[in-house]
Amino acid sequence: MAGSQDMFDAIVMADERFHGEGYQEGYEEGSTLGIIEGRQHGTLHGAKIGSEIGCYQGFAFAWRCLLHTCAAEKDREAAIAAPMNRFALGRLPRVTEGSRDWQGLRSKKMKVLESLIGLIEKFPYDDPTYDKLHEDLDRIRGKFKQLCSLLNVQPDFKISVEGSGLSF
Amino acid sequence: MLSAGCGLGGRLQLPEGSAATSAGASVPRTSWASGRKGLNPTAAEGRRGVAGVCVGAPAVGAADSAWLLHTLRQAAMKDSLVLLGRVPAHPDSRCWFLAWNPAGTLLASCGGDRRVRIWGTEGDSWICKSVLSEGHQRTVRKVAWSPCGNYLASASFDATTCIWKKNQDDFECVTTLEGHENEVKSVAWAPSGNLLATCSRDKSVWVWEVDEEDEYECVSVLNSHTQDVKHVVWHPNQELLASASYDDTVKLYREEEDDWVCCATLEGHESTVWSLAFDPSGQRLASCSDDRTVRIWRQYPPGNEQGVACSGSDPSWKCICTLSGFHSRTIYDVAWCQLTGALATACGDDAIRVFEEDPSSDPQQPTFSLTAHLPQAHSQDVNCVAWNPKEPGLLASCSDDGEVAFWKYQRPEGL
Repeated sequence: MAGSQDMFDAIVMADERFHGEGYQEGYEEGSTLGIIEGRQHGTLHGAKIGSEIGCYQGFAFAWRCLLHTCAAEKDREAAIAAPMNRFALGRLPRVTEGSRDWQGLRSKKMKVLESLIGLIEKFPYDDPTYDKLHEDLDRIRGKFKQLCSLLNVQPDFKISVEGSGLSF
Repeated sequence: MLSAGCGLGGRLQLPEGSAATSAGASVPRTSWASGRKGLNPTAAEGRRGVAGVCVGAPAVGAADSAWLLHTLRQAAMKDSLVLLGRVPAHPDSRCWFLAWNPAGTLLASCGGDRRVRIWGTEGDSWICKSVLSEGHQRTVRKVAWSPCGNYLASASFDATTCIWKKNQDDFECVTTLEGHENEVKSVAWAPSGNLLATCSRDKSVWVWEVDEEDEYECVSVLNSHTQDVKHVVWHPNQELLASASYDDTVKLYREEEDDWVCCATLEGHESTVWSLAFDPSGQRLASCSDDRTVRIWRQYPPGNEQGVACSGSDPSWKCICTLSGFHSRTIYDVAWCQLTGALATACGDDAIRVFEEDPSSDPQQPTFSLTAHLPQAHSQDVNCVAWNPKEPGLLASCSDDGEVAFWKYQRPEGL
């Protein structure tokens, strides 16, 4: 008795069974394709972010060198000027008004620069599930914009080769 | 269109034995929404002639006593807002914003004609004392006076913010702040006078510091919002900054170790938050939105006696009151009078409304009543309302029709 019931079930439920099998196959295939597509998307997106942050880092390093060189020159000038001031004004040696302001501004620029470099270096590049990913990226972008404002530089980088232009 | 929702929730002194027992009845909010569906709330064209309270039968068949209450209330409010004068401030374009100087003697207006105009009184009328042109290439969206009254900042769609220095009756542009990627939507001075905030369609809020030599330096670029930031305002006595955005939230920022961080996000509005205003004490914040409501938020510091939970040392903000059913269109501006505590709103239905807090209401759950409603205050959308900081009851408003109007507000008897 049980046997004949199974046999009829097999015939009667054939449609649904094929449906189910077809669905399973399709689902698996779709998942595989989805993973491939996701990987491609992730690679592209990651590369974009990477090049953007890399750009900021390179910019920051370059300016750090520039400001250090500039600082070294100004320090030399100030050291030369100071004794002459003392002679001329009869006062205790101190840095001239102009260079003191410059010192203040330079230290502000350096502070923001170092802060930006710090943020970039602290960023976890190998963890896409990092919960504060977007928040930290926005902080980096904000710091970069602030730095550009202090340095009086317009952020408009474009890599002309192969047309992979960066525009933020 | 009936503003039935306005009066029924509030209190009105009626003679003994009156039949106003159903004073608690309120017209359901859905009677508003149905009339407004399908209209793009941000479209500014072609919406004339819709405004105006027509004193006819209520939209929903309310009881006679509720109707009586409403009519009496309308009568009591009739002279609470009186027109003092009008000036064609920005002919053939929109007037976007107004700002009174701290002394209350001058009013700055800005508009779509790319100019800022300074108005002062001469006898009984208002005349234009200066015109600040050549500052901007596009619409000037907001103006703000520094706390000392010697500087005026103007934010423009040309992505720059100009700082003008006052020299008797003349203004000279001393600095132009650049950095935003597109339209600057708002500018605000901190009460200390050392800090300035700007916000833009590029979703960022910038905080600038100014020193004694008028040098401006960017101290922070905040990217917390996910959409266009519409308005920024500073707390009256703390170094706390608030911003309102197209992403339906209000965010608060404070300084933490040399950098500015977002310390709170106020969610609740269902659409763009257009403007913000702190109350005179700074304990509460009013926000107005495209969702046609005004929300009042209260600050609860850590260890507060109401038992509101706080994370760390940052205070929590809770919405303690929502004014809904009063406005039939987007509310573009809200202003909290620092002298009287009255709340004025500028609405897309061309009307100006004033609300006052009921004196006996619980501070943790205040109720506000409508004390003035002037339909057709302007012939187009009202963009801004501003209370004079020295003269109680003096209110200025401006509109898409390019006009600036001056009003005298007096709290009506019995309300």
